[in-house]
Amino acid sequence: MTAPIETTGSVAEAPPEAVLAGASAKQIEGRSLGRIAWERLKRDKVALGGGIVVVLLLLVGALAPVLCALVGQEPDIFHTDLLDASLGIGTPKGAFGGMSSTHLLGIDPTYGRDIFSRIVYGAQISLIVAFGAAALAVVIGVLLGMAAGFLGGWVDSFISRTMDVLLAFPQLLFSIALVSVVPTKLFGLSGSGPRILVLIFVIGFFGWPYIGRIVRGQTLSLREREFVEAARSLGAGRVHILLKELLPNLVAPILVYTTLMIPTNILNEAALSFLGVGVQPPTPSWGQMLSDSVQYYTVDPAYMVIPGLAIFITVLSFNLFGDGLRDALDPKGN
Amino acid sequence: MKAGRVRPAAPTRGGRPTAGQPTAVLLYIVRRLLNVVVMLLVVATITFGIFFLVPWLQHTDPVLRYVGKNANPVAIEGIKVKLGLDKPIYEQFWLYLKGLVAGRSYNNGPDTTWCPAPCMGISTQTQTPVWGQLTGDFPVTAWLAAGAATLWLVFGVGTGVLSALRKRSVLDRVTMVTALAGVSLPVYFTGLVTSALFVYNLGWLPESDPGVTLADDPVAWFQNMLLPWITLAFLFAATYARLTRATMLDVLGEDYIRTARAKGLREGKVIGKHAMRATMTPVLTVFGMDLGGLLGGAILTENVFNLHGLGYDALNGITKNDLPMIMGVTLFAAFFIVMANLIVDLLYAVVDPRVRLA
Amino acid sequence: MTTRNKALAAAALVGALALTTSACSGGSKSSDGGSGKGGGSSTFNAAATSIVNPSTKKGGTLKLWSTQDVDSLDPAIGYYAFVWDLQRFYTRTLVNYPSKPGKDGLALQPDLAEAMPTITDGGKTYTFKLKQGLKFEDGTPITSKDVKYGIERVFAQDVIPNGPIYLIGDLDQGQKYPGPYKDKDKDKLGLKSVQTPDDSTIVFKLSQPNSDFLYHLAMGGGAPVPRAKDDGASYAKHPVSSGPYKIQGYVANKGFEMVRNPNWDASTDKLRPALPDKVTFTVTSNADDLDSRLLAGSVDIDAGQRGVQTAAQGKILRTPKLKASTVDAPAATIRYISLQTKVKPFDNVNCRKAVEYAINPTDQQTARGGQWAGKIATSMLPPSIPGSDNYDPYNLAAGKPQIDKAKQALAACGKPNGFSTTIAARSTSPKDVKQAVAAQAALKAVGITANVFQYDGSQSASTVGSPAFMHSHNIGLNVFGWGSDYPTGSGFLSVLIDGRLISKSGNNNYSEINDPEINGWIDDAAKSTDPAAAAADYTKINHKVMDLALYVPGVVEQSLNYYNPRLTNVMFSQPLGMIDFSALGLSDGK
Repeated sequence: MTAPIETTGSVAEAPPEAVLAGASAKQIEGRSLGRIAWERLKRDKVALGGGIVVVLLLLVGALAPVLCALVGQEPDIFHTDLLDASLGIGTPKGAFGGMSSTHLLGIDPTYGRDIFSRIVYGAQISLIVAFGAAALAVVIGVLLGMAAGFLGGWVDSFISRTMDVLLAFPQLLFSIALVSVVPTKLFGLSGSGPRILVLIFVIGFFGWPYIGRIVRGQTLSLREREFVEAARSLGAGRVHILLKELLPNLVAPILVYTTLMIPTNILNEAALSFLGVGVQPPTPSWGQMLSDSVQYYTVDPAYMVIPGLAIFITVLSFNLFGDGLRDALDPKGN
Repeated sequence: MKAGRVRPAAPTRGGRPTAGQPTAVLLYIVRRLLNVVVMLLVVATITFGIFFLVPWLQHTDPVLRYVGKNANPVAIEGIKVKLGLDKPIYEQFWLYLKGLVAGRSYNNGPDTTWCPAPCMGISTQTQTPVWGQLTGDFPVTAWLAAGAATLWLVFGVGTGVLSALRKRSVLDRVTMVTALAGVSLPVYFTGLVTSALFVYNLGWLPESDPGVTLADDPVAWFQNMLLPWITLAFLFAATYARLTRATMLDVLGEDYIRTARAKGLREGKVIGKHAMRATMTPVLTVFGMDLGGLLGGAILTENVFNLHGLGYDALNGITKNDLPMIMGVTLFAAFFIVMANLIVDLLYAVVDPRVRLA
Repeated sequence: MTTRNKALAAAALVGALALTTSACSGGSKSSDGGSGKGGGSSTFNAAATSIVNPSTKKGGTLKLWSTQDVDSLDPAIGYYAFVWDLQRFYTRTLVNYPSKPGKDGLALQPDLAEAMPTITDGGKTYTFKLKQGLKFEDGTPITSKDVKYGIERVFAQDVIPNGPIYLIGDLDQGQKYPGPYKDKDKDKLGLKSVQTPDDSTIVFKLSQPNSDFLYHLAMGGGAPVPRAKDDGASYAKHPVSSGPYKIQGYVANKGFEMVRNPNWDASTDKLRPALPDKVTFTVTSNADDLDSRLLAGSVDIDAGQRGVQTAAQGKILRTPKLKASTVDAPAATIRYISLQTKVKPFDNVNCRKAVEYAINPTDQQTARGGQWAGKIATSMLPPSIPGSDNYDPYNLAAGKPQIDKAKQALAACGKPNGFSTTIAARSTSPKDVKQAVAAQAALKAVGITANVFQYDGSQSASTVGSPAFMHSHNIGLNVFGWGSDYPTGSGFLSVLIDGRLISKSGNNNYSEINDPEINGWIDDAAKSTDPAAAAADYTKINHKVMDLALYVPGVVEQSLNYYNPRLTNVMFSQPLGMIDFSALGLSDGK
């Protein structure tokens, strides 16, 4: 979903009033909307904070092996000696899910695996799937949505009906059917890599109609508008109108939906993992951990709180950042 | 982005004769209804295809999905006959479509069961026509959806407007965080925690009585439904709050709002009449789409709260491999989703006078 | 939600309660204070070995809740363990188990029959006389023809599949009887091996002696069915009761009620106390909610009897008062990992032995829920099955992985650096997946890489039940469970290791072992009329199965179940593998 943002950065014809609205309008000329947005964003501390957390999370995911090496733990090693056998439910000994200096976030029930390293590796998986699926959905949704709205006619009918059908479908059902078939036949069984690709595909595939509909509706209304008419009368080609006139105006709604899609995707990944068609064990993912932890919510609340918080913080910071970005990109903002 | 008032227009379909002509509206509705039929046909074809394609890709016989511990040849043959799996696939599909329109009879041993139209098959699990079961369970899901939708629209849109008006205030932030908590927590978690808290810890609500209907005992029914409503609404409210906030901010920047304010219109009227109206258009769009996602939410909510609606039927169909039931729920749900979308599209015309039906 | 799992149905049969023989008969060796002539008061696990709160007080409504619906109320179809328990309320058979705690509960007693059968012709002819005054719920008398008709229905697998089919194997004898629905006989009584010379006599002619036959007759398929009320697959919606209660208002996935059957005559039935006035069965979709209701006392018992959820378990075990109303006894069910002899490198016995040594039995137990969920199994016969001994060739009882021995076995197999394989587990059984993950970690320590393959449990017939699928997916290890259908070695083990039962789909002999010696012992035991001799055969079979390292035995399953303290006559039935519902009464009469 980074693509639309970058495109916006290159928009030259920012409305003058928006430019004027810029606080320190020393250089009125030559400032791109992207630049203005950045100026505004810098002033929005909350949004900036959200953005920083998102970046940090991405770093955590990327540097998972390094972080685990630093604390000297691995995600798949059992520490059953640290589990309390008396209740028979394999909960960790000690307070807060067995948190200690060796196991910073404690250990998981049943196996006694280090939660810190699982969260860190889980970030990798969850973020890859969520971002990958969102990117896929945005690319397909924007392309087809714009095509439908702009071209109209049978193209519109075909794409709209396709979206209707997809939206009318119980997606969980379809996902289970697809995931259970595809990997065994196309990718073989070993490793989590192929599974992640399939997850991205399935989640993204069902996400695009949401974006697609919004984009189509916006395109429909925008294409009749004066500035598009103006560009058209000036002899601008279809591609130019699509990319330079329409797309920049679609960024705000696309952003809002993308920010909402990331958490949904994380949860979708969780649901699929929960049903056994997600990431395969022992590879950790946040969704898997949260699903697993629900049954321990009274006996080992820490186990639930940690992946829950991880998801919540990710969702929250992404949304705060998205909101701020939206406000900053808003030409009418002040 | 000045002269023309930027408002997310309705995704109208095709050309645009003027609204207000009764014949045009009628024609539009008839055409859309035809569309609905075509779409249901497509959904039926895809669903049917998936359940025959998957075993084919796995190189297994589809009938093996329905046999239990004793997969003896006689039992397999019996199930084949019962489900009509011994016939070629196109014939099976034809029989299915025929059953939907005209009903069909199932012959298996002494059972000559007549399944009246619209026949969605006989549930392999309950031995009763799927249609009857779905219509019987539909009110539960309908009430769940209606109550939850009311809640999430009221609270979602309400907090969205407030957040927009008090942009970046404490209220704005708190609402957004709460709303986001709703999105980021899975339904089975919120459901579990709310019932543990309100029923068993605080004792504010009695244990739910799964048999109660609205007609039996309205008070008990309401108490039954309250937590499911809240749980489901919590999941969706955030979307609406955020969408409303974003659109409202957009709209408030519009010239005509400034004009209205400049004319000296009271702020309440500016917001309530002019801004709200424009804000509702995208909210309606999303609402139409969410009715589709609702079944997913309903599956989990109904199962957490032990409500026997379509979501419960769907999950049971999946876990028990009840193909007629799965296909039935899919079609039934698809029907209501497309109908809901039709109604939403009609509502556009009411909310946004610029939208004309065609 | 508890997973649907027919294959794990623990032994359960329609039974009888002999309160008159008084509470603490035979098996009451309770060390928890449950002994004494009046039977046990409610202390932890007292119900495993004695009758808790014995009483004859009638009245009240027994409230059963379950996270899964019955598979079928048709006695010929029902195969879930708890459904066999429920059948005791509305189904009677010729012979049945008594409701007694301990080993006493395992001995069959006459039910519809006046006495145990007369066995003649060298063990091949069984003659039963029915009691007088037996009636169905509609008042029509129960005759020997109704019993025969009921048995014939089992043969109609094309119409009413999925139930136990042992009786077909015993009684078809080459006739290829198609079941009553396609029977050319005008009375639909064309099964030749069963004769009904008069309304109260029924004669079974077997082709060879069969020590298991009475156990097969005691299953639901041996129950009488009135032909006039039989409408094939739909019979499940309204089975006609021959027992003390009749079924009302069954709605799939919601539940049903059982009310007193006015045509049941207590004088013909010494086995059922029939204390509650009404029994309700309610299906819920939320297991944690069910636990909350149980602990709050608004539900009497979890009909599924698969154990409380983790949250409730923690609460119960920390609260002595709650713990006193629980039972946690072993069922005749083993949760094992099978090793596929047709998937390389497990065709080599040493590679299989490497797995036996490498596995960590304690981790397997923890994965299933620790000491409350099962004891470490050392061989493939549960302790309650005759012929079981403490055979433990791999020293699994020590509960530790034996890395050195595993490595030696690997070297002997020619794979000193390990190998790669796949371990299958049902995604619908979270504990199975945990077992697989624990095995994966243990095997990694000796260099064996095992990828976990998850599949939908309802698809087992076409996945792990298909040898071709196992081979093509390189599935060398398979986490599964098995419970006995009746309490003999053949009722438990034969299906898992009889080489002649390997089938293309729905296969249960996962290891694909087809050993002439084992097959011979199975036949020998079946023909034996002496239970002790049959048991001795199964001891040999069990030893050989372990020597060949066909299974990692895992745990003998037990479940921590809570019951409402107001319940009377609470006892764990060994053949049922759970609390006997038909014996229960309500101390407050409500």
